[in-house]
Amino acid sequence: MLKARFKKHLGRANSRALTIDVDLKAAQGITVLFGASGAGKTTILRAIAGILAPDEGRIVVGDEVYFDSAAGIVIPMQKRKVGYVFQNHLLFPHMTAEQNVLYGIRTGVRRNPRERARELLLMLGIEKTADRLPHQLSGGEQQRVALARALATDPSVMLLDEPLSAVDVSTRSRLLEEIVSIQRRSRIPFLYVTHNHSEALRLGDSMMVIEKGRVCQEGSPMEIFNAPRTASIAKVVGTENMFVGRILQHQFEDGTTIVGVDSCRIAAPLNALPVDSRVTIGIRSDDILVSLERLTQISARNVLEGVIKNIFIDVDKTELMVSCGIDLKVSVTRSAVRQLNLKIGSTVFLLIKARSVHLLE
Amino acid sequence: MVWQTLKLSLLVVSIATIVISVAGILLGYLLAKREFRGKNLLDAVLTLPMVLPPTVTGYYLIILLGKRGVLGRVLYDLTGWTVTFTWIGAVIAATVIAFPLMVKSARAAIESVNADYEIASYVMGRSEIETFFRITLPLASRGILAGVVLSFARAFGEFGATLMIAGNIPGKTQTMPLAIYEAVVSGEDEQAKWLALILTGIAVVVVYLTNRLSRPRRVD
Repeated sequence: MLKARFKKHLGRANSRALTIDVDLKAAQGITVLFGASGAGKTTILRAIAGILAPDEGRIVVGDEVYFDSAAGIVIPMQKRKVGYVFQNHLLFPHMTAEQNVLYGIRTGVRRNPRERARELLLMLGIEKTADRLPHQLSGGEQQRVALARALATDPSVMLLDEPLSAVDVSTRSRLLEEIVSIQRRSRIPFLYVTHNHSEALRLGDSMMVIEKGRVCQEGSPMEIFNAPRTASIAKVVGTENMFVGRILQHQFEDGTTIVGVDSCRIAAPLNALPVDSRVTIGIRSDDILVSLERLTQISARNVLEGVIKNIFIDVDKTELMVSCGIDLKVSVTRSAVRQLNLKIGSTVFLLIKARSVHLLE
Repeated sequence: MVWQTLKLSLLVVSIATIVISVAGILLGYLLAKREFRGKNLLDAVLTLPMVLPPTVTGYYLIILLGKRGVLGRVLYDLTGWTVTFTWIGAVIAATVIAFPLMVKSARAAIESVNADYEIASYVMGRSEIETFFRITLPLASRGILAGVVLSFARAFGEFGATLMIAGNIPGKTQTMPLAIYEAVVSGEDEQAKWLALILTGIAVVVVYLTNRLSRPRRVD
């Protein structure tokens, strides 16, 4: 169990000053710290590892107090049992993979450090790379060595700072599974920093959204992605479509509220706000279906006619920009684009369940 | 005669280079990593021998270490011995003159090592001393070696300060550059030619080594 409650004021040279003020608990399992860059996620990890000292607060891992400003306790980073996987892996360039892992094993702790290093390399499936230097390894192998090296320290808590940001998509998915299985075996808290949705969804037993140095929402990743509490969280977690509108009417028997956004009428779940009050709604691009004909026999409460204005094709996602009075981003598969023969200028119908329209604070 | 001079020069320069390397790396590390009062002043004082004419540095060495010098007098009163006109004096002159080159190279080399590597080492429970020897020093080794080679060359060619404090006694304090000067002045052309050729050969090796060492290594 990791408990960290602290404040740290960062005077930054080039950007605005940021104050980290967090109170977080991470039990055994993977806790995702999710947030945009510059939100203070890395600083939180660095404070827990002891690389920087908070201004005030208390950091406890298991029954060891790492930092307590009231009691004047500051355990130096050398004495903290923290496994740290750095964003750019920071493997020592003059040491082979095996030497890097051996370096993580504390002197005198293991009777046979070499055997332990081999064991870790084997566990991560990189025993064949033992004698290679970091620059001779692929991105995925480098991150595996970095993981093995962090685990070699026999940590009480693992801190992972966007470890997969430099790894290609297919390797990433395999490594994600391995990180989960390593955590399940080690039974220690993993704190995992990322701003990638699929990583958060696949890894996170729980998730905290970090914004401007604070934890602004906590819950399971699914919960938070589906129902971000505020417009700014929605933006961070990637609710791609957000609009400011007005409550037009409540349909009590139906359980829906109609929100007007420009000329569009959008059905959202029933709420208690007075008619005519301003609201922000969010719709995730994943929650919108595309049809070529106007479907009438369908449960979706929102069927909007629109024209495709643009198609963005990226490695792991394809997105349409559809204009139907308001501009909506719609995420589709590449095969759907092919089969429906979607082109810029095509007329389409968008289907959105009322449940997928989120009212944001 | 040539061989004796070469032997003396090599002895003087070897000792000077060892002293310079050890002290220079230590000081370079302190200047690169620590903030302390008088850091800039120390840096300036260390740079002076590089900027001052060597004869002026030699003059200060006499003021400091001569028989009637500030420190030299104490030494003379205690032991009856003085560094002036001894080969130790030549070592001191070479050391002081070449030292700034080493400190500056070592500092630059150590500063060029990504400090995150050192942090990674600390987080893995390694002490500062262990981190220095196993991470910082190996990663800075090329720059440091280049510094060693440069200061070796500078010490080898030392003339002015050596002449001031150690004099020019053949077989005792006469190093290669001094011997060349004397050979030319006294018209011993053959001897001057050989001495000059040997020094040139050493310079060529030094330039080759520095170029090799300062070529960036393929990492990352």
